[in-house]
Amino acid sequence: MMGAGVALAPVALAPWLARPARADDDPSALHPQPGDRLVFLTGPKKGQIIKPEDLPLGGPQFQAYPQSPDGVLRDGSRLNLLIVIRLDPASLSPTTLANAADGVVAYSAVCTHQGCPVNAWSEEKKMMVCSCHGSTYDPRNDAKLLFGPAPRPLPALPLKLVAGVPMVAAGFSARLGGETA
Amino acid sequence: MQKLLSSTCLAATLAIGLAGLAHGAEYTPVTDARLTNPEPQNWLMTRGNYQGWSYSPLDQVNSSNVRGLTPVWTFSTGVDSGHESPPIVNNGVMFVSTPYAQVIALDAATGDELWRYKRKLPEGFSALHNTNRGVALYGDRVYLAGLDAVLVALDARTGKVAWETKVEDWKTGYYMTMAPLVVKGKILVGVAGGEFGVRGFVEAFDADSGKSVWKTYSIPAPGEPGSNTWEKPDTWKTGGASTWMTGNYDPTTDTVFWGTGNGSPWFGDQRPGDNLYTSSTLALDGATGKLKSYFQYQQNEDWDWDAMNAPMLVDFQKDGATVNGLLTPQRNGYLYWLQRKSDGGIGFLKAQPYVAQNVFKSVDATTGRPVIDMDHKPGTGKMAQFCPGLWGGKDWPYESYSPKTGMVYIPSNENHCNKFEGKVEERVPGQWWTGVAIPDFHFSVDPKAPFYGEIKTFDVNTGAPGWRQLYAHSMMWGSLLSTGGNLVFGGGTNDREFRAYDATTGEELWHSRTNSAIIAPPASYEVNGVQYVAVQSGYGVDAAYQETLLSELLGWQADVPQGGVVWVYALSK
Repeated sequence: MMGAGVALAPVALAPWLARPARADDDPSALHPQPGDRLVFLTGPKKGQIIKPEDLPLGGPQFQAYPQSPDGVLRDGSRLNLLIVIRLDPASLSPTTLANAADGVVAYSAVCTHQGCPVNAWSEEKKMMVCSCHGSTYDPRNDAKLLFGPAPRPLPALPLKLVAGVPMVAAGFSARLGGETA
Repeated sequence: MQKLLSSTCLAATLAIGLAGLAHGAEYTPVTDARLTNPEPQNWLMTRGNYQGWSYSPLDQVNSSNVRGLTPVWTFSTGVDSGHESPPIVNNGVMFVSTPYAQVIALDAATGDELWRYKRKLPEGFSALHNTNRGVALYGDRVYLAGLDAVLVALDARTGKVAWETKVEDWKTGYYMTMAPLVVKGKILVGVAGGEFGVRGFVEAFDADSGKSVWKTYSIPAPGEPGSNTWEKPDTWKTGGASTWMTGNYDPTTDTVFWGTGNGSPWFGDQRPGDNLYTSSTLALDGATGKLKSYFQYQQNEDWDWDAMNAPMLVDFQKDGATVNGLLTPQRNGYLYWLQRKSDGGIGFLKAQPYVAQNVFKSVDATTGRPVIDMDHKPGTGKMAQFCPGLWGGKDWPYESYSPKTGMVYIPSNENHCNKFEGKVEERVPGQWWTGVAIPDFHFSVDPKAPFYGEIKTFDVNTGAPGWRQLYAHSMMWGSLLSTGGNLVFGGGTNDREFRAYDATTGEELWHSRTNSAIIAPPASYEVNGVQYVAVQSGYGVDAAYQETLLSELLGWQADVPQGGVVWVYALSK
């Protein structure tokens, strides 16, 4: 029934969460900086700096925010939300291993589909899952997508171990946030 | 810090003005009288009238000539994801809303763009459902419930913002997707966010100023009537009962009927008690918001069966007399006949399943309270299967009532189940907090079932079933529109079709393949003596997610194309 000259809809995807954090002069909104440590958002150690031994080997992941060396929690931007997980280094892909600190791996917790927090864990699949639309990411292999509508992996946050504590080694590996029209 | 707040809290907005209303054309203000008795040629609100019928009296297009229906114009919205809003039409001007809270004004006869409003969402914003279900019209303004829980009033002629009012803080999990409801100079909205542990409410704002007039929570605070149904302290604060669909309205008694969502988290044993007013219909006083009455469909909810669908105001026959009634096919799979009392009260009359359901052993004939089969009630650490699954016998798509046939037409789904158990989770405001993760939903279907989606019909007076349309290879996610031309229009299937059925016999009379799949409600209107049927095609949100699961379970198409297009049809000349 489609008549001549009827155009199909272009699917316009434009990055809307890719802007820098909100204000350069607000350290709580700055994206993670080298030297930052990671702080539990939830759980029995909420508010404490994450150490490898705090994390169960093999998952699940925990949510965290970065904290500056002088103690500023960078929760001023939701784009700074992180997921942190401790894995057997032997199970990691080369890139993930390079970003890990004693098996501790950190990713952006902001789903690349539509920006929802990736806060679920599939015990069955041992994967990180977005609660909004089920995008499922492999923490051992660069957070690559195994299922769901997300268009790309979660950005990784490279870590290094300093005095037994995971610290941010460099900025995110890719642009943050989801897609929207 | 002040600079920071001002730059982030004031979500920047953009109205892209084109010609506006061309050639100095007059825009016809929308009045209470027009909303109460809408002209057949217009579609002034989401469901066409305050009664929520999704019915157009127009009959130029009818069961004898519908095969001549052909596209006359289309318009690409340029937006992806689930388009769930009907075209709203006022004397030749069409307003469509899209996901991410955009509004486009179009010439309803030609498709010429008049203006477009694009809401700029705050940094870091996300919503479980990014859709929008339509605008409301009043006076010379267009009202939009912004996804970021901000109510926006636009100039209908230009699209310029007249005012914005923050309804709630999106960071705590609130967002808005429904079309506002206009009630005598007030703009009523409800909120989504049940999966994030919000406390639902309906709030009314002054149409002129945007100032709050009243706000009624759908969960009572301690000391208020019904608060004793929240037996565990503080559970009421995060108990859900979201209000994410538009209510219907009875102007004669000034009563608003508004539906509420299920409880948060999903597992009733974490919030013992009946949990008023989750999964209920509220009867609210339009002037004050005072709760006049309620009806709760299931207590201490566990199945994600929101009762968000407001009942239709339908008068039906019972025992030889006409009853001022409410009729509603609920997500729980039952069709309810309720009574509208003169004081705004709701009385239970009867309920019957419209799809197979294994949770209710029975429904009390006097109170309407179901007796639950505990084998099919999940709990914390207790796995249980239930059918229909969490998307219900129907989800939000609108049923339709035709006063001409006396039938209700229900877009339904059957032969699907879920099985899950809960766990206790720490709540983080603004994050998923149901007690179960999406991969653990264990959605299933009967692989040998002859159909999954369907249209079911019933006689509103007798409850007798009428014709059915069965879809063997698709779920049914499309709202229905019945018309005075003895037709029922609807999409809803994964094959991208828009169809017309004979309203009496169910015979498929016409179909048109569109760009995407249709989950938006159709509407009908007339301009210069020509009847149009219009619908947005744009697949997404839960229908698309469910389709990905069905692609694994049944091999259905996983990637139904997305992208919104407004389709407008008329009889070929």
